[in-house]
Amino acid sequence: MRVRVPLVVSVCLATFLVSALAAAQFRSQPLPPSNRVARNEALRTSVNDLEAENRHLRDRVGSLQAAIRQLEDQSAQRSSAAQRLTDLVAGQKVTVGLVPLHGPGLTISLHDGRNPNDPADRSLGWIVHYQDLQDIVNLLWATGAEAITINQQRVVPTTSFFYAGVNILINNANRLSSPYLITALGDPPSLIAGLNDPNQLTELKSRSRNYDLGLSWRRGSRLTTPAYDATFVLKNAQPTS
Amino acid sequence: MLLGFLVVVQLRSQALVARSLANQDNTSIALLINDLNHANGQLLQQSLALVERQRALQQGLLTGSTDTLAIEKELTILRAVAGLLPVHGPGLEIRIEGPVMDFEIQDALNNLRNAGAEAAALNGYRIVDGTPIISHGTALQVAGHPVSSPYVLRVVGDPEQLESAADISASSLQTRVQVTITRRSDLAITEVVQPRPLVYSQLGS
Repeated sequence: MRVRVPLVVSVCLATFLVSALAAAQFRSQPLPPSNRVARNEALRTSVNDLEAENRHLRDRVGSLQAAIRQLEDQSAQRSSAAQRLTDLVAGQKVTVGLVPLHGPGLTISLHDGRNPNDPADRSLGWIVHYQDLQDIVNLLWATGAEAITINQQRVVPTTSFFYAGVNILINNANRLSSPYLITALGDPPSLIAGLNDPNQLTELKSRSRNYDLGLSWRRGSRLTTPAYDATFVLKNAQPTS
Repeated sequence: MLLGFLVVVQLRSQALVARSLANQDNTSIALLINDLNHANGQLLQQSLALVERQRALQQGLLTGSTDTLAIEKELTILRAVAGLLPVHGPGLEIRIEGPVMDFEIQDALNNLRNAGAEAAALNGYRIVDGTPIISHGTALQVAGHPVSSPYVLRVVGDPEQLESAADISASSLQTRVQVTITRRSDLAITEVVQPRPLVYSQLGS
């Protein structure tokens, strides 16, 4: 059963990495109200600018990938060696989540529950934490999921969850927020059996009962998982064939 | 002290504010800015790598030589990312002596991926995104294979960044079990996963 200590530790990681930034926020107080408003606005403008840049960079990566695909196809038409390699690349792209898929599976809905407003209850159990998403994803893999998305973000080999304050981020700083929709392609009965197993997700199920935290699933005969909207770069790992 | 205070601020903030940008506290915004900067840097690196690949392919087509090197390089990267090829490089070896739960290993792996881990293996099994790690009582199963203490997690990536992430995980584990973190200048991950053919999924959206 998951206990909350790791949650705090994980939040520590996020906090630790930018404690200097946060400390600057505290150090600067008290500020005259006018400065405070201006600073708040400046911070939010920065986020908007950076998110716009993030979208632009993703689009750029997408365009480059499309252009490369065309060039590879042209190369493949010229030589059988290139054709064979291009076919292998196409297969590997499926494996690592760079290709959209569809098929039967489950959609799991998860949303924050009711704040008990109880000063004695400091557990924040009514909120969906990224560890809850991580636990569900791990369980879905264990019960045979072939592809998983969270709020349309594909889970790929480099996917990790990260707390930036109240934001849950995955895949190059995509902000996730409640309600969370997890789509898993695979054999629906196997996936459902895993979720129904009383030994799995025990803490989350208990919080669902105690705080009205939403946790439900529905099978689908034709669900879709979009492709990962970026790519992979190895900076340190050198493959050996 | 400050760290503890900040954590409490984070958790309280989470309970008190909506997740829309307008209602977020400045600490959350500052953390978000930091992560966006980092992510944008990563996306820029990805773009540069793709531009390089595009140029190599264009060059091959222009000279009529149908240079397959660029396609081969892409294939190698994808196979390594999928865990189908052995890799080596700088990284960390994290040795955990004592019982741990599945979520503790998952949390550690999540932190290490956040810190740029590029490949990982646990007690002789390669770990990729689809590798389930499940507790069975006090024992662990990795992709259905039982593993036991000492748990040796080997990770390739920037050792400095990985070490910060590993220290965070270790600080929680060390209250119960012994954790040793060792930097390696060249660590080999020879384990590979078997490809899993798609049974239920089909290509296309």
